[in-house]
This record gives sequence, structure tokens and C-alpha cells, in this order.
Amino acid sequence: MTSPIEIEGAETSSALDKDSAPQADAKEPKKLEGRSPGQLMWRRFKRDKTGVISAFIVLFFFLISALAPVIAKVYGKDPYTFYGQDDPTLLNEFNLPAGPNGGISPEHWFGIDPNYGRDVFSYLLYGMRTSLYTALLATIGIVIVGVLIGLLSGYFGGKIDYWLGRLTDFMLALPSQLFMVAVMPVVVTVFVAPDEETPVYIRFLAILGVMWLLTWMSLSRLVRAVTLSLREREFVEAAKVAGASPWRIIRKELLPNLITPIIVQGTYLLPSTILSVAFLSFVGVGYQDPTPDWGLMFATGANIYEQDPTYMFFPGVAMVVFFVAFNLLGDSVRDAFDPKTGR
Amino acid sequence: MSILRTRTAQATVVAVTAGALALTGCSSGSKSSDKPAGKSQKDALAQAKPVVMGTAQQSVGPAKEVPGSRKGGTVQVYQETDFSHLDPGQIYVSDGGLLSKLLYRGLTTYVEDDKGNQTVVGDLATDAGKSSDGGKTWTYTLKDGVKDQNGNVITSGDIRHSFERLYASFETDGPTYVQQWLSGEGTKYRKAYAGPFKGKHLPDSVLSTPDDKTVVFHFQKPHSDAPQAFAMAAYSVVPEKTDTKEKYDQAPVATGPYKISEYKSGKNLKLVRNPNWDPKTDPMRHQYVDGFNIDYNQDKATQTKTILADRAEAKNAIMFTGQVDATQLQKITTDKAVMKRTVQGYAPYVWQLNFNMDRVKDKRVRDAIALAIPANAAGHADGGAYGGDPATSLMSPTTPGYDKKLDPFNRAKKPNGDIAAAKKLIDEAGAKGKKLVYAYANTPVRTTQANLIINNLKKIGLDIQKKEIDAATWYEQMGKVKNGLDLYMTGWGQDWADGNTVFPPSFDGQQIQDGASNYSHTNDKHVNDEIARIQAITDAAERAKEYGKLSEYISTKINPAAPIYYTKVFQIAGSNVGGLRYSTVTSYTDPTAVYLKK
Repeated sequence: MTSPIEIEGAETSSALDKDSAPQADAKEPKKLEGRSPGQLMWRRFKRDKTGVISAFIVLFFFLISALAPVIAKVYGKDPYTFYGQDDPTLLNEFNLPAGPNGGISPEHWFGIDPNYGRDVFSYLLYGMRTSLYTALLATIGIVIVGVLIGLLSGYFGGKIDYWLGRLTDFMLALPSQLFMVAVMPVVVTVFVAPDEETPVYIRFLAILGVMWLLTWMSLSRLVRAVTLSLREREFVEAAKVAGASPWRIIRKELLPNLITPIIVQGTYLLPSTILSVAFLSFVGVGYQDPTPDWGLMFATGANIYEQDPTYMFFPGVAMVVFFVAFNLLGDSVRDAFDPKTGR
Repeated sequence: MSILRTRTAQATVVAVTAGALALTGCSSGSKSSDKPAGKSQKDALAQAKPVVMGTAQQSVGPAKEVPGSRKGGTVQVYQETDFSHLDPGQIYVSDGGLLSKLLYRGLTTYVEDDKGNQTVVGDLATDAGKSSDGGKTWTYTLKDGVKDQNGNVITSGDIRHSFERLYASFETDGPTYVQQWLSGEGTKYRKAYAGPFKGKHLPDSVLSTPDDKTVVFHFQKPHSDAPQAFAMAAYSVVPEKTDTKEKYDQAPVATGPYKISEYKSGKNLKLVRNPNWDPKTDPMRHQYVDGFNIDYNQDKATQTKTILADRAEAKNAIMFTGQVDATQLQKITTDKAVMKRTVQGYAPYVWQLNFNMDRVKDKRVRDAIALAIPANAAGHADGGAYGGDPATSLMSPTTPGYDKKLDPFNRAKKPNGDIAAAKKLIDEAGAKGKKLVYAYANTPVRTTQANLIINNLKKIGLDIQKKEIDAATWYEQMGKVKNGLDLYMTGWGQDWADGNTVFPPSFDGQQIQDGASNYSHTNDKHVNDEIARIQAITDAAERAKEYGKLSEYISTKINPAAPIYYTKVFQIAGSNVGGLRYSTVTSYTDPTAVYLKK
């Protein structure tokens, strides 16, 4: 019952578990009990230790990000105050943290940042919050657009498919990161009066808009391919004969069958979107100081990594842990949904 | 690099000037953090006195030998960008100014002693100039046997041509002091004469050449600092026969100790010895090394790291206008061996936060902002304690007449802003929640400074709208009279050590027009009258005193700009380079004095 392909999985640690798991699965159902695909997926997922641990880590990140203001309040520091300016002893003559290890102290758990002397711990929490939730919203947008366009072109075919296909090709041809760098300042200036500061929400919307405009294509192609094969199936034919509207067929017949690739792709998409958002801030077109942001932390850290390596340490470790966890989670989710697909 | 990139630079810079600073002997860069790091203001102040006029005796060559010097070898130079101009008439930025010390000669030049004291002496001319008619007429006699790189003897006709060609329409970026003095203020001089290329000369009543060796300038008003003006790179000689007009910017003719052997625009520039340069005629330049190899596209961090590593050709490297990258400061200043190959000095720039006087009309608000500025932190953002000192007034310590005691905004006691006092003023003015637009250039340093300053301004209850502006067009946008902004930082440095090159361009209300450097739009009758009066004073020391008084009046009675910080220069060179010294004239490492140890 175990497919040999599955053993070749990325997480070797879980390969053994899975090896035995399906056999147990086979013996178990003595009482015949109907299970929905969702339930099956959930059972398979729960057995995957790596996946579960990763899921907890990812959840933890989202939780502390969401609770950043609460945590910062309990901790007693906020990311906007320039502690180094209020207390000149915190920064030395080179504008770097005066204390050892990037100024780590009982006051500032993760140290302080150069130039301003802001608290790194609260800044990191708020920075993750900005990045994670921007990326989450952007990913939801990308998935919705990608699925919609993929479904439409897959289901209707013909001219609609042709033109949507060309549009997808065109968008794919744009070098996305370069395009973002070029477009962001324009988007920002178009919506702001010359004597007004650019509000943070404009930057947020601009990042969202640009991200979504440039990354829906791969998902839409995948969805189109699956839709193409699905629409020839008997149940779709049956629905058509029964007189269901195209919208109803898309919604009730096709979409539930697409949920697997969508969720799997979504979990892969989110971390890469976080990276893109961080990249935008890193090159200076995304969020800007004093808005706390993960990408900005790397921009600062990259400048001073020789003098103050501690500064890069916490955001760096946080990002590595988060990404590894999220990618492992993505793998587990894929395995759970679709145990037969090889990688 | 901020300074070089900006147009202040273009507008001012020029290093062909002067900071009468005393910087040399002092053992700066103390490592202990309780002592002030970098060059102290006291050193600069001690020497902030007018340039001394040299005699004919001091104008003869050869220049005093640098102890320990030897000939040979090629110096490597790392630069961030290509020189904006090679045509001397277009040079008004410090990078070109520095290069011009090696390539070109003018009527006058400066000789510095070991302490950095400057004496203006004759370069092509036999002395610093003879004035008559109360300072309106200046007469120069040329030295014998000065030749350009092609072997042609420099005559008075060449000098006349060098000044006449500055009226040509393609000469747009250079300073305009002498042209305005000769033919009228503002852009009047351009209407008066269109340049020599159509066959017409300036009338003898303006610029005459009675014989092959004599040039006579007839200014409209007395100008006692004419010798300093003639020492600017822009007034270097361009031999008439080989002038190629616009193309001269690519292939100029050298009169100095070096000439261009190879020039790849945007990539590199190679200088070799000019065999026609005669050291006996030159009072200040040396020709120790065989040549200079100038490579572009090396940013500040790369330059610093390469020279710090001290491998291969980087051993022979110096910086031109590059500066030690702020992130490397700690590494450099804590290493005694490395500190020996650094050059430090006080630069003439004052960075100030201009108030747009057309929009911020309440003086109490302006005073409050000036009081609240975190001057120390903002200065430190531009290179730590080695980058700048908090500025007490709008006059630089390198400008004669500077008064250290003038400190209307309490920088001495509260270098990071007096929030309480500022808040009180804001409350008095009823300006709580007043909306002001703060514009800044989008470079990392300016952004950091903006954040630091805005942080304090928000504390005193102002509603600051932060506006990011493209750094490349920063001075162009600030120069517009209707710029729609309230607060913006600009830097200004003297062209030579005299208030004449600071106050008229920055605070004369009659100069207000698009592109002018009166960025705060100060237009006060008393100030305008005083500027006109002081400019007419012929005694330099007297003038310095009066400018000191005017500076006090401007800061306390008008307050058009909050002083933020005075800049300092910190450069590093390879271990094989000898003769390293800070030039108070160019405010960088002096390239004419360097030699290679082996």
C-alpha cells in the first residue's frame, strides 16, 4: 500500500513514520466508517511529527506577531521610542550600541539598534507583525486572483482561455523584482499630495497591489491545467446536462476538487511572499523607517554586520526558523492531502 | 560622499578654498570615549583668520621639499564617480578642484605651512597681484618660461582668453565671481559679452593686456579678495591655441606637474608626468610620483575596505574625495598602526535646517525648532564623532569672524535639543499641532537624520509631514522659490576663507530667485544693507569682524535656519604612501605632496 515514491520524501525523519502509518491505517478500520477527504487528510497530517511541530512554530509566530502590542506593553518598551537618544550612554561615538553584544541588557533583551537606539525585541515583534500580515493579505489576494483567472480560462477555453493565457504570459515575462522596484515609488507618489507625508497605509496598499499584480501567474496556470482535466469528467458533464449554470459548476463542482492544489500552493506561496515584502523594504521601496519591518532590519543589519553582528542575529534566526518551519509545513500539508504524488 | 554628490558641492564647495584650519599636529582620534573624538573645533577656530597675502619672494619655485620624499611609483586613487568636469571653467565641485591641483595652474594659488596656515601667492603670476584704484584694478605680471603640456609658452593672451571663454554659453557650472565683478551682477555679465569664439574680446576698459606678460582687471567695485578668487580651479589658464570649446571637457591641456595620458569616461583616468612643467616656476606643487591611476565606481565602503586591507596596489592608494565609511570607523580608530595612515581635518561645511521664511513666519516657532534639533545625534549620523560637531551658529569655524561664544540655541549644554524650552515657545506661539512639511534627500544618512530630527520635533508638539525627495535633484528642488516645503537641510561651505563667500550667497534677499542658494528666502532690509556695506570693506580683518556681528544678528534676530553640524573629513591611505597631510585649501588629502616610500 505504501507507494515507493512517498519514501523518497524530503523529510527523512518522518519517512519511517509514514512507512508504517498507512499499514496501521489499513488494519484499523474494523468497523466500516465513512471518512471525508478532509478527515483523512487531518489524520495523515497528525501522524507527521515534523509537520505538527512546524505547524506549532508557524502558529506561534503568527500569534506573537498578532499579540505584539500586548507583549510590548508587558515588556515595557515600544519600537518607536529612540532610547539611544533619550539616554546618550546607550550609543557610543560610532552610533553603535555601547554595551557588549549589541547592547543586550535586562532593559533591552535583544539589544538596541544603531543610530536611533530602539529596542530590538519590540521592534522585531512589530516588524514581524508588519511583514507577516502584509504577506498574508497579499497571498490571499494572489490566491483569489490566480484561482479565478485559472478557473475561467480552464473552464471556458477558447478565446477567453487564449487571451487570459496571453495575459499570463505577458505578466510572467516581466522581471518581477525589478518591476517592483521601478513601480513602487510611482504608485506611492501618485496617491499622495505633494505636501503630505506618505501614509503607511498607502505603502501597505502599494505593496499589496504590486505583489498581487506580479505573482498570481504560476498559481493560475496550475489551476487552469487541473481545471482542463476536470471539466471533461463525467460529473461535470452530468451537471451540465442537469442545466447547472457555469458559475454553479465552477463553484460546486470544480472548486472543491481544486482545494488541494490551492492550499498546497498557498502554503508555499506565503513564505516566498514574506521574502518579497522584506526584499522591497530591504532595497528601500517598501516600508520605511520608522515603520518597524523585518526587511528593514536586514537592511540595517547588512550595513553593520561586521561591527554589530548581534543586531542581525535575532531577526536572522527568527526568519530562518520561520521559513524552515513554514516550508516543512507546506511539504506536510501536501503529503497529507495527496499521499500518492511524488516529488 | 554626501557633500560631493550634492549640488552644494557644486554650488560651493570647491575646495579651492580655504579653511583656515589648524589641524596638523594635533593628535586627534582619541580612542577613549570620554574625550571628544576626531578633530576638535578649537583647532579649526585657532586658525580661522583671513588668508595672508604673499610676496613676490614667496611666489617663486620650487616648492619646499617634503621631508623623506623620493621620486617614482604610481599612486592609486579610488573614486566613487567620474569627475563631473575636466574643463577648468566648469569646475566648482571638490573632486574637480582636487584634480585641478595636479593638472592646472592659475594666476594665483595657496601655499600652506605645516600648521595649515595659508598664504596666497602668485602661481603663473609673479606675485599675488597689485591693486590700485582702491581695489578696483588688479594687475598681474606673468612669470617667464611657463609652458603648457605642448610646450607653448603661456602669454597674457592665454590668460585673457581663459577669462573670456567663461562668458561662453556652454560654461554653465563654474563659479561666477570674477565674471560678475567685471561685467555686472546676476546674469548681467552674460548679456554684456558672449564669449571670445565669435572673434570679439572684452573691451580694454574691462580686461586689458598691455603687453605679452601683463594682464589688468578692471572691476566695477573694489574687491580686496580678488587673489583668492583667482586661485579657484575655474580661473586656471586655458591656452588659447588649443582650446576646443565644449570638447575641452574631455581632453584638457595641462599646465601643472601632471597631464592626462588616458581617459576612459566613467571608468578610469591616468595621469603621467608633464615634462614641460618646470618646478622652478611653481611655489606649491611637487612631482614626486610618476603618475596617478584614478579608478572610478568604488563606493565609500569599498574604498575603505580595500585601503584598510592594504594589499597589492592598495598599498599605494589614497582617497581623493572619498571618506572613511562610517561603519568601518571603529575598526580604524582602535588600531594605532592604521590610524597612522589616516588624514583628518575640519571641513568648511555647515549643515543647517532651513526654514522657508515665506511659510514659517512665526519666529517663536522657528526658535523652538532650532532649540529642539538633536544636533549632536544628527551630526553623528554622518560618520559618528569623526563626521561632525554640533553647530552653534550658521558660520563655520573655518570662516574668519566665527565666534564660538555665539550659541543662541544652547548647543553647548544641550547638544541633543532643549525640548522643554522649545515646548514652552510652541505653547506661547499657540502652534501646537501646526503642520510643517519636512523634506529630505533619500540617502541613508539624510533619512536617518530626518528621523532623528522629526522625532524631537514631534515631541514639542508639531505635526511634521515627512517628504522624501530624490537626492539627485535635491538642490534643484530646494532652489525653487515656491518649493512648497517648510523645513529642509542644506550644507554650505566657503569658497575661500572669507564671509564674502558665505553670507551674500546664503542670506542676501536680493539674490532670491529660482536656483539661487538663499534657500531660506531670507529677505531682511538690515541684512541686505549690511551685506552690501561689508562687501565694500577692503580690510579683511575688519570685514571678518563685521561678518561675525552680522552672523549674530541673523541667528538671534531672524533665525532663518537652525544650525545643525559642522563637517569633518576622515580619510585613509595605503601604508606605502608618504607625505600624507590634510590640505586646508582643498579640505582633503593633499595630492601634490604625496610620495611612495618604496
